[in-house]
Amino acid sequence: MKLPWFKRVGLFYIPISIIGWIILICGIAYAVNVFIEIDSISHSVSDTLINFVLYLLIIGAIYSLIAFLSIRASNKT
Amino acid sequence: MKKPSFEEQLENMKKPEVSELKHQEFLSATITKAKDNSALSWWWLIIPLYLIAAFIIKSFYMPQSNLISDIHELKKEHYFTTTLCFLILPLVFAILNMISIRKTFFLSGNPAIIPFIKVVWFNVLIIALSVIILIVFIL
Repeated sequence: MKLPWFKRVGLFYIPISIIGWIILICGIAYAVNVFIEIDSISHSVSDTLINFVLYLLIIGAIYSLIAFLSIRASNKT
Repeated sequence: MKKPSFEEQLENMKKPEVSELKHQEFLSATITKAKDNSALSWWWLIIPLYLIAAFIIKSFYMPQSNLISDIHELKKEHYFTTTLCFLILPLVFAILNMISIRKTFFLSGNPAIIPFIKVVWFNVLIIALSVIILIVFIL
């Protein structure tokens, strides 16, 4: 697998390889799944959004950790 | 075979010099790493910051609750997650960013404060946010 999978632009990590894009699409798909699940049990729009944003931030943090580690590994090789 | 005299050896001796370009490459790589660290720290610290913001808004609309008591309640219910988010992550990222700033400072060779702060301002901001999260958790 050719590294790096991502490049950093400001605070965001942009995929630059197929594996990077797969990871991003998996993250988005998981976020959509979480949104549907939260929406099905919440009582209002604000209830959905408040709970969903927390999960979105966690997904974003894990995605950025993967991107960070891939960039770090590519710098070492 | 004639041995070169000590005097000749001394005359031919050259001091090792690091080329300017190599040093600039080191500095550039260190600054890029510092920015990488600050970006990663931001994405992880935004989780406790979001919770703190939510508790502040809650205390604004519900006068009987306040930020500190809400954090204590959260700590009782989810001890491991709260400790990870409000204690371990800010500590780790504050240390990581301090090391980055220190490395950049030494490689820059005693730079003037204002241009240096312009380069590492986001790392300084991350350290400040980490300290705020730690204070909220410890209180």
